[in-house]
Amino acid sequence: MRVSLNWLRELVDVPVDAVSLVKKFNLMSAEVESHEPMTTATGLAVGHVLSCDPHPDSDHLHVCIVDVGGERLQIVCGADNVAAGQKVVVALDGAVLPGDLRIKRSKIRGVESNGMICSLDELGIDRKYHQEDGIHVLPATAQPGSDPLKTLCFDDEVIELDLTPNRGDLLSMMGVACDVAAMLDGRTTFLLPSVREDHARNGLTVASESPDCRSYYARVIKGVRIAESPAWMKARLIAGGIRPINNVVDVTNYVMLETGQPLHAFDYDKIGTGRIVVRAAGADAVFVTLDGKERTLLSDDLVITDGIRPIALAGVMGGRDTEVGETTTNILLESAVFDPIRIRKTSKRLDLRSEASIRFERGLDPARTKLACDRAAALFAELAGGRVLAGVSVYESQDIRSHPVALSIAKLNAVTGRVYDAAAIADVWKRLGFESVEKDGVFTVMVPTRRPDIRTYQDLIEEAVRISGYHLIPTSLHAAAFNGSLTELQRMRRRIRQTLCALGLDEVVTYSLVPPAEAVLFDAVAAPAVRLLHPMTEERSDLRHSLVPSLLDVLEYNLKRKAENVRLFELGKSYSLSGETELVAGVLTGNCQESIWQRRSEPYDFFAVKGLLEALFATLSVPGVRYLKPSAGHALLHPGVCAELRVGDRPLGIVGKLHPNAAAARDLPDAYVFELRLGVLFEASKPNLTMREIARFPAVKRDIAVVVDREVDAATLIAAIARAGGKTLADISVFDVYEGAGIDAGKKSIALSLTFQEYSKTLETAEIDQLVARLVKALGQETNAVLRT
Amino acid sequence: MDIQTQLQALAAEAEAALAGVAGTNELAELKAKYLGKKGPFAEFMNQMKSLPNEEKPRFGALVNDAKNALTARFEAKRITLEEAAVAAKLAGEAVDVTLPGRSVPSGVRHLLTRTIEEIEDLFVGMGYAVMEGPEIEQDLYNFEMLNLPKSHPARDMQDSFYISEELLLRTHTSPVQVRTLLEAGGNKPVKIICPGKVYRRDDDDMTHSHQFMQVEALVVDHDVTLADLKGTLLVLARKMFGEDRQIRLRPSFFPFTEPSVEVDVTCHKCNGKGCPMCKGSGWIEILGAGMVNDAVLEATGYDPKTYQGFALGMGVERIAILRHGIDDIRNFYTNDLRFNRQFR
Repeated sequence: MRVSLNWLRELVDVPVDAVSLVKKFNLMSAEVESHEPMTTATGLAVGHVLSCDPHPDSDHLHVCIVDVGGERLQIVCGADNVAAGQKVVVALDGAVLPGDLRIKRSKIRGVESNGMICSLDELGIDRKYHQEDGIHVLPATAQPGSDPLKTLCFDDEVIELDLTPNRGDLLSMMGVACDVAAMLDGRTTFLLPSVREDHARNGLTVASESPDCRSYYARVIKGVRIAESPAWMKARLIAGGIRPINNVVDVTNYVMLETGQPLHAFDYDKIGTGRIVVRAAGADAVFVTLDGKERTLLSDDLVITDGIRPIALAGVMGGRDTEVGETTTNILLESAVFDPIRIRKTSKRLDLRSEASIRFERGLDPARTKLACDRAAALFAELAGGRVLAGVSVYESQDIRSHPVALSIAKLNAVTGRVYDAAAIADVWKRLGFESVEKDGVFTVMVPTRRPDIRTYQDLIEEAVRISGYHLIPTSLHAAAFNGSLTELQRMRRRIRQTLCALGLDEVVTYSLVPPAEAVLFDAVAAPAVRLLHPMTEERSDLRHSLVPSLLDVLEYNLKRKAENVRLFELGKSYSLSGETELVAGVLTGNCQESIWQRRSEPYDFFAVKGLLEALFATLSVPGVRYLKPSAGHALLHPGVCAELRVGDRPLGIVGKLHPNAAAARDLPDAYVFELRLGVLFEASKPNLTMREIARFPAVKRDIAVVVDREVDAATLIAAIARAGGKTLADISVFDVYEGAGIDAGKKSIALSLTFQEYSKTLETAEIDQLVARLVKALGQETNAVLRT
Repeated sequence: MDIQTQLQALAAEAEAALAGVAGTNELAELKAKYLGKKGPFAEFMNQMKSLPNEEKPRFGALVNDAKNALTARFEAKRITLEEAAVAAKLAGEAVDVTLPGRSVPSGVRHLLTRTIEEIEDLFVGMGYAVMEGPEIEQDLYNFEMLNLPKSHPARDMQDSFYISEELLLRTHTSPVQVRTLLEAGGNKPVKIICPGKVYRRDDDDMTHSHQFMQVEALVVDHDVTLADLKGTLLVLARKMFGEDRQIRLRPSFFPFTEPSVEVDVTCHKCNGKGCPMCKGSGWIEILGAGMVNDAVLEATGYDPKTYQGFALGMGVERIAILRHGIDDIRNFYTNDLRFNRQFR
């Protein structure tokens, strides 16, 4: 809501300056979005163009002699429409116009110019408020030398309020004035309209067939002359953010700004029936609105009809067939209240939000419906020469009485934590203009119809606190003790982040919404992604299944900017309609060991990445993660350099090298990716809670090397040894793998380090020799392994 | 020559020989020559046998003193030589300490994570539990139970991404509050924060993001007051923006709270004097809050006659933007490592 300060001062006492008023609005009423003068132009005077001759050295410039009140100035003017005899706005030498345009005496093509004749654009009046090209011509009555901003009524300031949806009451100057009265403890001055009615009666009948029409007031005004509105009205409309059109349209908008009640003027002669019937559109499927567009109606859209056909889309837009035009002389004026939700649905569907529809949606003051009708009728008579026919045609179903809401001082104190006294609260109601009575500590407040937002005691608490001041509320902390702590899962997420950071990975956060192809790109089997009903763009249309494609995007972005050794991870979700799965994913490229003056660099390979994951699993106390050859192909991964991870039989995730084709498609270097399910990690996490005995007898290490078929993997060997080794075999690790000279083709040598440990005795060499022999035998039986000698 | 003269001559000769010794082997040889079994002192002891008994003590004492003195000289020389050898070894091992260290990469948490964890820690310390919920949410929990019936004008405040008639991407983390209250069953106090991702139908630009992070707090009990809310906000503002900060509340509107407030904090750049950061006002809006609307309590099974509460909600990006002078909200989601790595 844009509030003209001059207008506001007419409606309410404002004994403070604009800056203080702005502060009060912010702290007690509504947030001020901006506060500025209508124009910042200075150094202006009304000028009388005494003569206007062509410039001797130009085909479009004029040389004017202008009387600016006792002084005659020669001014060169480029506007086509300048002419002798006009009253104009002159920016004098030293004037500053909006945009920091400084006017100075100068020579234009050799002719001295002592100022500038201004257009509305140059005064800073936005194009949305006027269509004037060329200089602005003032009324002939303007006094040369006087302030043209006064003539134009532009000597005003505008405070723009950013309104919350509940404060529909502040969508009117009267509503704002009431709140200012409460803020400043002042008084409002609203003049009741007096309509001089004609003898002739208005024979119109008004009816409603829909509960969505709450009230409908109509008057007929005859003999209006369409013309320009007076300066004061145009200025107030511009201050209020509305473009002046002609006196009839302007009156309806002006009264809407003043009262909050939207009005509509029909060309009465184009309504043949003398009847108004409000009803649901029903079978009427199309309707041409006054912007010339054909609108498709739904059967429950509310329409105004002449008893036969729709003439307006209630609360949203009038019809082309009954529009007020240059030739209109008789007017049917509508002041009505419609169901807010009905209007909201229709205006939203047709994308026709207007100053009027916003007011209908936010709720109107039913007590102002007739007032607005009369006010506009009076202005039609005053400004357009109209004759107001006697009588108002009315359909009314609203309750226009104040409604009672109760609030006890005890409740107010209990909710706010402050002790209020009854007199202070009574003062708040008085300032708000609410009648109230107090009995036994309970206020019964009669809330006027202009404040439909106040329905409950909580709403009254808000009024009491804001008008008495939020600064009076003390500060305390709720004392009750609760067990505040992170859950184990929340702690694990933090540990994952800490560990991956410590291992050199940078955390990223990317968007959950991705292009359709990317949403399923990392799936082994493509499943449909969850798609938005109405995406804003295809780039952000589907909810992703995997974090990996987004990580590759970030990798590509950073590599293009010359980043090296990019290591990224993200914690996020995979989305489907059956649930959301938490994931942790990573991508690594470049070197795991940097080349530096002492050492050669070492690029990431599968085992470097696997080592990182093993460090992570160790930190999280997740034992027994198995790495398996993937059961299904994975388009994004190298088929020979990737593994499915499992804990027991539960799939944990995947790790592997980016497929060379996928890398080439994005111009990426070798990269490794992993993606793990956080929930599986969490359930597999088994932190040790009970102390284990530390062995008191020495452990013994033995190294063996066996030759096996190339296809036998290390896990198979280790599992076979573990089974055969029993309890005494405490640890098995691979320390060398060799193929080549000395080993038959198709075979490989694997060297294993075995650790033996007994808790009750020292192992003898002979015992260990025996054990190793048993292991080698078992290996031979299970895997055809032969001890390498 | 008497024995004294002989001993003096011997000492002088040995001293001269010691001066020329450069290594420990050479020293050992020289020591054997002078102090060994076939050396001059063994000879002196032989001589003593032939002396009259009354001269033996003096002679013996003179020889012993001379031998001890020479032994001490050899020992001193040995120490000197060893120390020199260690020093030479150490000097050879010296490194240029200004050469770079071998890099051990260390990554950084995302600034949003860091900020959320900081907020979580503050609230956990005050007894709050951290609750989470789905991002694909039912209209019922995201809007309707929060006093936002369908067609409520306030729904325009949060334009949403719908997936179906009844499902949408949550526009705030408030549905987690609803779920927690429902779960609590209407007869237990609730004290929680809800961090997480939320989504709104905004075009991404410098100040808008279709996806962002929120942290909301909710306290419901028999005696939770607006003053408690104000006190909590003050603790939060000071934790995030510095101990000297003040706050102020301004009237606002959210369907799920009544009264509703916007919370401003004194500008941490100018300390409230007015600067470009706070657009000259000295105050910066940081979050919205209010007392839980009875309609929400009723919808979730709480009796507003015996329970009341407060709620607050902040945008994590906004907090980080203000704290760290970040000029564009898209920085959080672009993940240019030159940005991410600035905040450890």
